[in-house]
Amino acid sequence: MRHPTEGVLRRLLDEPAGVADSDRQHVADCPVCLDGLAASRDDAALVGAALATDAGARVDLDAAWRRLSTAAGGTAPGRAAAARRAGPSRAFLRRPGVAALAVAVVLAGAGTAAANDWLQIFRTEQITPVSISAADFIALPDLSAYGDIVVTGDDEPHEVPDAAAAAAETGLDVPEVSTLPQGVSGEPVYQVGGEVSATFTFSAERAAQAAAEAGERLPPPPPGLDGGQVRLNAGPGMALMWSGAADIPALVVARAVAPTAFSTGVPFETVRDYLLSLPGLPDDVAEQLRTFTADGSTLPLPVPADEVTTSPAQVNGEPATVLVTRDRTVAAVVWVEDGVVTAVAGALDADEVLSIAGDLR
Amino acid sequence: MAVSGSARGAVRADLDEIFRRDYQRVVAVAARVLGSRDHAEDVAQEVFLSFGRSSVPAGEARGWLSVAAAHTALNLLRSGRRRASREETAATADDAVVSDVAEAVITLEERSVVRAALARLPRKQAVVLVLRHSGVSYAEVAAVLDLSPGSVGTTVRRAESALRKELNRHASSN
Repeated sequence: MRHPTEGVLRRLLDEPAGVADSDRQHVADCPVCLDGLAASRDDAALVGAALATDAGARVDLDAAWRRLSTAAGGTAPGRAAAARRAGPSRAFLRRPGVAALAVAVVLAGAGTAAANDWLQIFRTEQITPVSISAADFIALPDLSAYGDIVVTGDDEPHEVPDAAAAAAETGLDVPEVSTLPQGVSGEPVYQVGGEVSATFTFSAERAAQAAAEAGERLPPPPPGLDGGQVRLNAGPGMALMWSGAADIPALVVARAVAPTAFSTGVPFETVRDYLLSLPGLPDDVAEQLRTFTADGSTLPLPVPADEVTTSPAQVNGEPATVLVTRDRTVAAVVWVEDGVVTAVAGALDADEVLSIAGDLR
Repeated sequence: MAVSGSARGAVRADLDEIFRRDYQRVVAVAARVLGSRDHAEDVAQEVFLSFGRSSVPAGEARGWLSVAAAHTALNLLRSGRRRASREETAATADDAVVSDVAEAVITLEERSVVRAALARLPRKQAVVLVLRHSGVSYAEVAAVLDLSPGSVGTTVRRAESALRKELNRHASSN
């Protein structure tokens, strides 16, 4: 029988009844697991002592309730915003990708004059990672609180039978992998998705209300911003997936029309500077994002810094970004060429994904 | 946002009952992170203010409050770590002048090391660790954080191992 995981051994210390009889029996007879259990017990005791507090003493409930009642009855509590952002708000996380991408693209663009018609303000030519911790990622401003986001065309990607069908649906050249890495074989599954468009309409009233509810002061919106729109387009795209032993695919090659952004009504820089001033955007991230505005062609890719490391590379002479998870189980490389973004990712190391990327036909 | 459905200024009707039931536990969770009951009570007040204006279902209140307490306290730890560490250093110096409290000083230092290490842990590991050491069951931690009970054990184990290494490194450098 296989040894139970370290997680099972740990639970055995706290909740033996929660561990299967077969696992308990195994541990009792297995010197390796008994050693593991002892190490686990020592660590648990040490950390338990280090985290011990005097909070076991009774709190003064009545005094605490009076304090809360006073605060809740007064003006909106400023510090409550932090707690709310930190809470497990699932709706907030529902579309973090869209919200973060919209913020990133808007911040990266460099439009100039006001225009009545849609004006292209941004065209992806490069991608550069912006380190951001997972906590900051969650705290990025929720754009839905500041206006309306209408997303069209975000139907689920669907499978097509072969490369010809993928090319026909997306209008893109299907990447061909000349040599599959060791351990990957067979034909890929082809998935395609259509063009996605997200239009954000700023509402000064909604933004002011959201800020007031969060107990924070909204910076006054510049004239003309109320009702102004920013539109983000991305896709269509495709993904070729080779299945692996685990639940992560062994290899994925994806290609899509790179994001572009457009605005109406207000100079792009007005929108950018205003969004940068909104409460909730961490200072260091805002500072990093500001540096990406020079030519409006570099898409900042928010990367959770505590899970992924990034490094620059080149693919066929184009600047590329390599991303590797900290546990080194997954690597990816992403680059943009002629308005098309391509990514190679899989349960591989950085050299392997770069080699596959360089050999794509 | 799902948790801010109430009208502005309105406070949910069941706040009193849930406050009296769960306040002690929320303070305990925050205190594990911060090591100080005073600061933990500040965090608990923030969490309940936020909860009072939310529409979190009453049946999910206890889990929501515990997770919010852990996150809020960890945020405070991260933002206030430098300041706190300066204060603790100063306190240590005062104690040292009084002299024969070496053991207390070591404990204080160790706690400071643990708090610094806690702030550096991946957020999910830190939250799971704190909830578990606050007596929240595996099933409840799994439910509120959308994990399997099996992965709760693994996450706690990794977090404890990381903290032990930090403590050992600190001990060997002295």
